[in-house]
Amino acid sequence: MDELDETQLKNHVDSLKQQLQFNREKTSVSLPELTKWIEEKMNEDPFLNPDILKDNPWVESSKCVII
Amino acid sequence: MACQGLAKGETIHTLKVESESLKAKLEEERGKLHDVELHQVAEKIEALGQFVMKTRRTLKGHGNKVLCMDWCRDKRRIVSSSQDGKVIVWDAYTTNKEHAVTMPCTWVMACAYAPSGCAVACGGLDNKCSVYPLSLDKNENLAAKKKSVAMHTNYLSSCSFTNSDMQILTSSGDGTCALWDVESGQLLQSFHGHSADVLSLDLAPSETGNTFVSGVRSSKLHLYYPCGDAFATGSDDATCRLYDLRADREVAIYSKDSIIFGASSVDFSLSGRLLFAGHNDYTINVWDVLKGTRVAILFGHENRVSTVRVSPDGTAFCSGSWDNTLRIWA
Repeated sequence: MDELDETQLKNHVDSLKQQLQFNREKTSVSLPELTKWIEEKMNEDPFLNPDILKDNPWVESSKCVII
Repeated sequence: MACQGLAKGETIHTLKVESESLKAKLEEERGKLHDVELHQVAEKIEALGQFVMKTRRTLKGHGNKVLCMDWCRDKRRIVSSSQDGKVIVWDAYTTNKEHAVTMPCTWVMACAYAPSGCAVACGGLDNKCSVYPLSLDKNENLAAKKKSVAMHTNYLSSCSFTNSDMQILTSSGDGTCALWDVESGQLLQSFHGHSADVLSLDLAPSETGNTFVSGVRSSKLHLYYPCGDAFATGSDDATCRLYDLRADREVAIYSKDSIIFGASSVDFSLSGRLLFAGHNDYTINVWDVLKGTRVAILFGHENRVSTVRVSPDGTAFCSGSWDNTLRIWA
């Protein structure tokens, strides 16, 4: 902060004022929605859905054959 | 003159006082709305089961530290840049090198794939962001087609195309971010606001793509690319943190006493449930974002992990390291 000149400080103050105007939500509103979004999306996540994991192009199926 | 100096000092003093009181007020506002913790919300959610993830490909070819990488939207090509000044385009699936360019500078800290897959952008200590069109002819001299797009007054730390090949967003050690027109090299918009080196930036995952986050000095960040309402940071203090943009605050810290080395890069799985963090102790930690627990530690790299990026379809993630290699994990 100390190295800022007057113009930079003015910009900084303006930015803080703008941030104060920012419309905030309670975490009791935003976090359940975020959690819900993640839960719904988990079915499509190749790392988390075993059915998609089976078809992962990066994972070679075993080349060994039992005779 | 003396009078003027005094007046100026006073203005600066007033501004500093004002900024301090505004900051306190901001903290107060944020505190008011923090009425529940993430782990409380996630209490009833099932924990993740056992987690197996292995190195599926190793990309060798860089002569020095790998500093940055980006996926092509085709989900198999990768561009990576290194301290030795080389930029390589890989077919990660076959591990073949498709193109290689030597930049006129060392420490190529930023590289990005164009959305069309027809060009890559990169830069570093040259303070520039250059775009190289890619052609099917592998013997073609890419350096001859180089186009200097962006110019900063200090090193380029990060770059990203917006949703088209036409515009590129850059961040720099000069403390600014800027949006450029690729064709003309014209500066479209400059973003000031940081009072230190800007080390990273990431665009929100919306179609219009008109918001982005940027971070300074010790924290490398990556936007929550899945839904765009939150982002995560990895930091020198060995922690990763989750920030909720709607609540305008930090909502989770991912740390353990046993993790003492800084996290240089983070990214989310497709759903955002997993957070991958590359660390300076050569490991990659995988976190359950909702429960705040570590679900896996991945070993393999023989030096610092400098970058981690999940592929566009979420089937794999790539890590780049100071051991000169990149690894694909799935």
